[in-house]
Amino acid sequence: MELVLQQALNGALLSVFYAVMAVGFTLIFGVMGVLNLAHGELYMVGAYVVWLTYAQGVLPFPVAILAGAGIVAAIGIGMERAFFRPMRAKPLMGLILSVGMIFILQVFVATTWHVGLMKNISPAIKGSVRILGAIAPWQRLIVIPAAVALIGGLWFFLRRTKQGQSLRAAAQDPEAAALQGISIDRTGMMAMGIGAALAGTAGGLMAPIMRVDPYMGHTALIMALMVTIVGGLGSIEGAMIASLIYGFMIAFITGYFPQEICSPATMAIIAGALLMFIVLAVRPRGIMGRA
Amino acid sequence: MKRKEALTLIIAVSLAVVLAIGMPLMTGCVPGRAPEVTPKVVTAKIGFLAPLTGPVAGWGLPGLYGDYIWCEHFNAEGGITLSDGTTVFAEMVPYDDEYITEKAVTGGKKLVLEDKVVLVQMLGGADAAAVVPWFTQQKMLSTTLLPSDLTPATLYHLAPIEVCPFYNVTGVEWLAEHLAEYRPDLTADGITFAQVAQDDELGRPGMAAMNAAAEASGMEIVYWELFDPETTDFAPIVSEMIASGADILSWGISYPDYVNLLTQQAYQQHFTGQLHSCTLDFYSAIVEKTSKEFLENFIWQFPDFDDPAMQAPLNPYRLMEPKDFWDEYNAKYPGTWSAVSYEYMCQLDEWMQAVKAADSIDPMKVFEAWKQPKENNIYHVFGEGTWWGRPFWGIDNAFMAPWPTVRMIDGKATIVEFRDQLDWWERNKVTMIKWNEDLGEMWYQRMGIPKEEAIELYGLYEEYK
Repeated sequence: MELVLQQALNGALLSVFYAVMAVGFTLIFGVMGVLNLAHGELYMVGAYVVWLTYAQGVLPFPVAILAGAGIVAAIGIGMERAFFRPMRAKPLMGLILSVGMIFILQVFVATTWHVGLMKNISPAIKGSVRILGAIAPWQRLIVIPAAVALIGGLWFFLRRTKQGQSLRAAAQDPEAAALQGISIDRTGMMAMGIGAALAGTAGGLMAPIMRVDPYMGHTALIMALMVTIVGGLGSIEGAMIASLIYGFMIAFITGYFPQEICSPATMAIIAGALLMFIVLAVRPRGIMGRA
Repeated sequence: MKRKEALTLIIAVSLAVVLAIGMPLMTGCVPGRAPEVTPKVVTAKIGFLAPLTGPVAGWGLPGLYGDYIWCEHFNAEGGITLSDGTTVFAEMVPYDDEYITEKAVTGGKKLVLEDKVVLVQMLGGADAAAVVPWFTQQKMLSTTLLPSDLTPATLYHLAPIEVCPFYNVTGVEWLAEHLAEYRPDLTADGITFAQVAQDDELGRPGMAAMNAAAEASGMEIVYWELFDPETTDFAPIVSEMIASGADILSWGISYPDYVNLLTQQAYQQHFTGQLHSCTLDFYSAIVEKTSKEFLENFIWQFPDFDDPAMQAPLNPYRLMEPKDFWDEYNAKYPGTWSAVSYEYMCQLDEWMQAVKAADSIDPMKVFEAWKQPKENNIYHVFGEGTWWGRPFWGIDNAFMAPWPTVRMIDGKATIVEFRDQLDWWERNKVTMIKWNEDLGEMWYQRMGIPKEEAIELYGLYEEYK
C-alpha cells in the first residue's frame, strides 16, 4: 500500500510538471497556430536562470523562479515579434523557425556556460514530509501547489478577464476575433509570453530535481508534445487531463511493470508513445480537441 | 706542354680539389671543426577520444584535466630522451565524442590520420565498440577504462588501469563481510541487495558483476533494474527500490549525474539503509543536496588522491606523487574531481615506462614493451600488476592489481582495503560467468559468435574447458 501511495505521489508531481509544460505549449498553438518546438529550450533557459541566480547565491529560490519566468517570457515575446508574427500566414515557416531557435538557445547556453558536467542545484527545502505512509520531499511537494496555482491562475485569466476572453476568442476564430476589434498581434504576443513563462517556471521548479544541461529540453518537449496530442491540440483542458493520465501512467508502470519482460522505466516511455499512437488512430483530435 | 695536356692537368687538379673539399662535407666531417649535432625533438601526440559533454562527461572531462597536468609536468621535467638522443615531449589532442558512436568513429579517424597520435585514450563502452576494430586494422594502440570492451579481436586495446566492472566484486564482498560491524541492524536476517543502472554498455556489465558478487557473498538480490538512459525523474525508480525492502541500494555503474540524482532521491525518500555505487563523483555536490550524515558509510571504489593509503609507493615509477597531483588538480579544476581524474593520467605513467623500454614512441613497439611489466618496471597505480583476461574477456589485455574499496568516513572518502580481484575470481568464476551470460555480456556474446565456435576460433580450450 505504501508503494501505491508513493507512486501516486510521484505520479501527481509528474502530472503537474507535464501540465505546466503542455498547457503553455498548447496555448501557443491554440492562439497562434504554431507548433513551437523550442518550448523545451525555453524550459531549459528557466532552469539555467535558477542555476545562475539561486544556486550561485544571488537570489532566493522563489525570486529566482520569477526571474526565470520573466526572462523566458521576454524571450518568448521576442520570438513572437521576430519570427512568428511575420510568418503568421505560413505556419510551416513558424515551425521551421522554432527549430532554428532550438539550436540558437542550445548553442548559446552551451558556449556561454559550457556543457561539461551537470549543473548542481540544491533543493530550496531539503527535508521530506510523510503523508499517509508516502514520503513527499518538500522540493517535490512545493512544485504541486505552485503548478496548481499557475494553472488555476491561467484558467481564471482565460475565463474571467477581458484579455483572457479575447485570447480565447482569437484561438477559436482569429478572423472573427479581429472583426470584433481584438488585436491578433497583441493576443499572439500575450499567448507567447504566457506560454513561455510557463515553460520557464517549469524549468525553474524542476531544476533542483532533474539534470540541468543545455539539452534537457529535448525530453521535456517530447512529453509536452505527447500530452498535447493526446489532450487535443489547442485544448488547455485536454492538456490537463492528458497530463494526469501520463503522470500516473508513467509512475505506476515504472513501479509495477515486471523487470523480466522489459525495464519498467523504458516500458513507461514506450507506453506513453503507444497511447499517443492509439489516440491518433482512434480519435485524431485528441480527448478535448476541436474537430 | 701541349694545349690538350694542359687542359687535362687543370681538370684533374680541379677534380682533386673538389673531392678534397667535398667529400668531408658530404660525410659531415669538416677538418678542424667538430661535427654539429642538433638535438632532435619529437612531440608524442596522445589522442583523447571520450565524452567531454553530456551525461557521461563526468567520466571524460576530468580525465583530460588530469592528462593536461601530467603532460605539463612530463614536459617540464624534460620528457624522455631516447638512445639516439631524441627527446620526446607529450601533447594531448582531445576529441569530444559525446559518447555517440558515429562521433567516436569520426574522432578516431581524425586523431589517427590527421593528428598522427601514437596512443588513443578512451572511456570505453559504446564509443570503443564502434572505433576499436578500425584501430586494430591500423595497428593503433588504444586504452580503455572498461575491459568489457575486450575480446580476442581487440589485439591492441588495453585496459591498463581500470578493470571496470570486474573490481566492483571486491567492494560488494567487502560490504558483505563488514556491514555487520557498523550496521548490525541491517544484517540480522541476512542482507538484501537492490541495484539499478542505465541500460547500456556501462550499466549492463556492472549489473552482472555486482549481482554476481552479491549472490556469491550470500546476499539476497531483491530488486534489479536497467533503466532507460533517457530517464529524467528517478523518484519512481527509487520508490520501487525502497519498497523492495533492500538493506543495500546500489547505483551500479550509473552515470555521475544519475548517481547524484538517485542519491538525492534516496535521501528525500528517507532511505536509512546502506548505499553503494561504483563511483561517487563530485560527492561534495551531493553532500550539498543531502547531508554529511546521510552520505556517511557510503561505499564506492574510487579514492581521493590525498588518501594516506595512496601515499605509499604503490607505483615507484609514477611521474607525480598522488598528494601533489591531488593538490594541483583541485587548485586548477576545483569541484571536478571524479573517478577518472587520475585514471587516464596513470595510464600515461605506464605508457611513459613502456616508451622508455621500447626506446621508441611507435605504437606497436610501445605495446610490446607495455605487455612486459615486470621486465620494464611498469606498475599499476595501485601496485604490482599482471596482464590477465583470457578466461573472462578472451584476451590478456587487462592489467589487474588489487583494487581499493572506499568508505565515506566523517564526510571524506577513505580507503578501507585493497583486495585481490583474481583471488575473488578463482572462488566465484562460475557465478560471474552465469550473470554475465544472462545479460549477454560475455565476450563471445558481444562478438555474436556461439560460445563453442568462439572458443575454437581463438584456441581458448584450456580457459573454457
